[in-house]
Amino acid sequence: MSRDCMEIVAEGLREYGSGRERMIQLLTKVNEELGFIPPEAMIGIAEALSVSAAEVYSVVSFYSFLSAEPRGRNIVRICSTISCAMQGQREVLEAVRGELGIEVGDTTADGRVTLETTACIGLCDQAPAMLVNGTPHTRLTPEKARGIVAGLK
Amino acid sequence: MERKVLLAENQPELGSALRKALGMTPADVAFEVRDAKLQGRGGAGFPAGVKWVLAGGASGDRKYVVCNADEGEPGTFKDRVLLEKYADRLIEGMALGGYAIGSDQGYIYLRAEYPYLVPVIEKAAAEMRRKNLLGANILGSGFSFDIELRMGAGAYVCGEETALLESMEGRRGEPRNKPPFPVNAGYLNKPTIVNNVETFCAVPHIILNGAEWFIGLGEGGDSGTKLFSISGDVERPGVYELAMGSSIGELLDLAGARDVQAVQVGGASGRTIKKGDSARVLSFRDLPPGGSVIVFDSSRDMLEVLENFMEFFVHESCGQCTPCREGNARLLHAVTALREGDVCCQECLQPFIDLCDVMAVSSKCGLGQTAGNCFRDMVGGFVELPLECNCEGGDS
Amino acid sequence: MPGINLKVNGKDIMVREGVTVLEACRQSGIDIPTLCHHPDISTAGNCRVCVVEVDGSRTLMPACITPITPNMVVHTDSPKVRKSRKAVLELILASHNSNCPECVRNKNCELQELAERYCLTDNPFQTMDKPESFIEVSPGVVRDESRCIMCTRCVRTCEELQSVAVIKPMERSNHVYIGTFQDMGLSEVPCTQCGQCINRCPTGALYERSEIGEVLAAIEDPDKFVVVQTAPAVRVGIGEALGLPTDHNTGQMAAALRRLGFNRVLDTDFSADLTIMEEGHELLFRLKKALVDKEPVALPMFTSCSPGWIKFIEHKHSALLPNLSSCKSPQQMFGALAKTYLAEKEGVDPSKVVSVSIMPCTAKKFEKDRPEMRDSGYQDVDYVLTTRELARMIKMAGLRFDRLPEEPFDRFMGESTGAAAIFGATGGVMEAALRTAYEVVTGSEVPFPGLNICAVRGMEGIKEADIPMPSKMAPGWEFLAGATLKVAIAHGLANADKLMRMVESGEASYHFIEIMACPGGCIGGGGQPIPTDMEHRLARMKAIYAEDERLPLRKSHENPEIQMIYAEYLEKPLGHRSHKLLHTTYKARGRT
Repeated sequence: MSRDCMEIVAEGLREYGSGRERMIQLLTKVNEELGFIPPEAMIGIAEALSVSAAEVYSVVSFYSFLSAEPRGRNIVRICSTISCAMQGQREVLEAVRGELGIEVGDTTADGRVTLETTACIGLCDQAPAMLVNGTPHTRLTPEKARGIVAGLK
Repeated sequence: MERKVLLAENQPELGSALRKALGMTPADVAFEVRDAKLQGRGGAGFPAGVKWVLAGGASGDRKYVVCNADEGEPGTFKDRVLLEKYADRLIEGMALGGYAIGSDQGYIYLRAEYPYLVPVIEKAAAEMRRKNLLGANILGSGFSFDIELRMGAGAYVCGEETALLESMEGRRGEPRNKPPFPVNAGYLNKPTIVNNVETFCAVPHIILNGAEWFIGLGEGGDSGTKLFSISGDVERPGVYELAMGSSIGELLDLAGARDVQAVQVGGASGRTIKKGDSARVLSFRDLPPGGSVIVFDSSRDMLEVLENFMEFFVHESCGQCTPCREGNARLLHAVTALREGDVCCQECLQPFIDLCDVMAVSSKCGLGQTAGNCFRDMVGGFVELPLECNCEGGDS
Repeated sequence: MPGINLKVNGKDIMVREGVTVLEACRQSGIDIPTLCHHPDISTAGNCRVCVVEVDGSRTLMPACITPITPNMVVHTDSPKVRKSRKAVLELILASHNSNCPECVRNKNCELQELAERYCLTDNPFQTMDKPESFIEVSPGVVRDESRCIMCTRCVRTCEELQSVAVIKPMERSNHVYIGTFQDMGLSEVPCTQCGQCINRCPTGALYERSEIGEVLAAIEDPDKFVVVQTAPAVRVGIGEALGLPTDHNTGQMAAALRRLGFNRVLDTDFSADLTIMEEGHELLFRLKKALVDKEPVALPMFTSCSPGWIKFIEHKHSALLPNLSSCKSPQQMFGALAKTYLAEKEGVDPSKVVSVSIMPCTAKKFEKDRPEMRDSGYQDVDYVLTTRELARMIKMAGLRFDRLPEEPFDRFMGESTGAAAIFGATGGVMEAALRTAYEVVTGSEVPFPGLNICAVRGMEGIKEADIPMPSKMAPGWEFLAGATLKVAIAHGLANADKLMRMVESGEASYHFIEIMACPGGCIGGGGQPIPTDMEHRLARMKAIYAEDERLPLRKSHENPEIQMIYAEYLEKPLGHRSHKLLHTTYKARGRT
């Protein structure tokens, strides 16, 4: 059972303060813990930082790593930039899609995994690569990627 | 020529540059960096020392040092390697910047794709603090400087320094209008220097060995060494350190490039050159060297490569200014049209080539200004138009 | 003052330091096109239509935000500039719903004008699908995303002028759109419906929710008795909306309304005078309670004429709701009386009365639907049209406005004074209230030449004035002898917000505060002609004060129809009937 989002916001405010410049840190904190930023958290942050809720939503919508929609417990981000694309990224992506039975951008019905593609993650020398909850996995093959994804709880 | 300084096995003692600098005046530290002609290693190539001198002279009750660790240019990973191995050198470089401009606070803006580097950087900072190379009253000099790590949240455009500052201030990463420049009004409207990881890493070496030495490292009038991340169709992808001004051919040989059709220098926003161009040099005089070099062998469909790049720009434009927001989408559309034969002749193509020119001169920031480079280069040099033009003659 | 020399298109010009290239060029008679620039708000430099060539610069520079430097050499119409401008406009048009004849801003659109100027007849980018029309309707404001060009003028207006900030750019790249928190409707977020965004939209992406159809139907219906009221600021806006110079066109406006078929042509100025009677006495009542009875009472008292302001305070400063005057706005006072007093006087069944108002305002469209506004037993005001909508009706009816004779309003609720006219400008309600209240408590006229209280006039964002009371007071008001009445005025909600914070912190100690949601007051309202900017607001303000000077009666309590309604119907200010029909209550709404 995850913590109440307002509790996380309150903790973030204690940790970072309520300066306007702390918004992304606060959002990231909620996002990391819950996988997304619920509306109440956005409103809470807006009020603490004296900005409008629309402003918070606007910031969330700008960044690829922040989400206003619930997502899976695990986030798989497969790099789609050219160096990975040249080393078999497409086959890896196919394998992961097949394993999960979902399309890019979707979350498995059991809420286990969200699958995304991402711009360059700076692992081009070990392509193809992906991030699973921020942890890099490199020199992927379809089998290797399938195994990693299957092992996610 | 391969020339290891930043990646050298034997590094000077940590803190020795800082110790030396604390015996100099802050202005002299900034002048040393300026005289070394250290051009920004993130890709834009603006002289770092000039920023330092300007920020040092700017008035402000507080000043800031910001390290741009948001490397996101496709094919770039040199800063990742530096952060993995030399975070302490980077922090020393930042402290030197703080001393030079009169700042006690630095920030490392780290891209969200590198969360695994957080403990590495934090460990380095803790070690620096333990050695009194960071924190209050550094080495008993009375100079205090500390750093804080700030994470990005997934936006390539935040590599643009003013977008980065916006992001640090908790806003959308939309580049600012300039002037004012960050050296006068940066983070929280205070004088700020924003420099790339590699730029800061070079500074301790410059302080220890002097500007002349650093200039001597370069080739053909360029200054210092430069890191290159090379990937694609090469036998030994990785990060190489070469004299600035080295030829592209040298780098390709080192990495074991084979059957080269094209080389993308400077990432998606850089330039595309042909096999025969290996004498061209990695320098702001010729091919601006951000750090990314991607090799394509003769089997690669360059239209596919172009499509990948344009998809990237369409995804990463901040959407603020018209040429970049609308232009990239049109260029991507043109790539599809090329593939499908809907754009079939020079006449159909010309408006899009012209669009690249317009984007280059009228976009607000470097992203939009350079996004059309690959389109122009690849369409001009690698994509063959159909022999038969089907846009005239009536049957559509 | 030292000037700066620069060369524009080969010609030497000299301008004062600190101006932008755009300002320098426009001052020198060289026009540079703009889209995201609006003089009321900060510059964004986003549209890139205003780019110019500056010698020594690698890229073109946006004129709107580039400061002049000494000896700068600028080219505003070089081939490179023309090529860029044209391409930028083509890109905008290519993803713009440019079905102009079906757009409310047809022939009053900045994009259309530039498309014409740059001959965009052969757009090479017209290859992708056009955006689908996405229309969101709220009580006052309608948004059509397909016509939005992402200039963000609405965003900056909402934040900077109004400190409301409910609309922001969402997403990024070509997916970017102007949206609200969680993409909710404007009526579900703290939007005040002020319509200032409409006034600054260069295209037809924002406009008022029109009720022209309903009004025409009511006029056509022989069973209905359609009465119309016109707000003070409409008479100085309607001519402009019809392409005429700014003037006070009260008589022609009445004539036009009569020809449009309204059964009675009446005046919100009448109920503005009534508001002064009620609100002025309410202020005096509160002062007496505080100073004589020593009872707790909310002071300063705030005016309540501006529905955008009402919604703003309900959202953002609800702790101060007791400070709001309980008076309904003049529109709603009129509405409540139209279906009671007027129906009685005219001998018509109130259920057959259709009450229409012409307003410089979009928030009035929200206000008339408030559940509190049904004290006549019916919805007090049925339809609200903006100044712009009235202009459309006049055009549709084929009326040549400039050739219409000047006609008077109809009786019972058509008489007004100069005090009511100035309600349309910031400071006007304050001035009108002082003209009456001062006379009530002292027995003599306000001690200002020509009754003009200049301290409360003008465009300064927050104004304040001290009104000293004489030593000799009218019977019953001796407790005010020698006192100083402290008043303040704010217009534009950002200024209102600032003033409210001062009140909340105790930093400000006023007795009476006038707030208007829109910059300049109603003359700059969200329903007024486009463009609305400082130049136009000043012209309308001048016309408003000319109207005041023109009228024989300048004080609300001298209005004979006001005297009549108190004598025959309401009895006295704050009386039993007044309370039932003319006063209301407010409610706190969500902050975010």
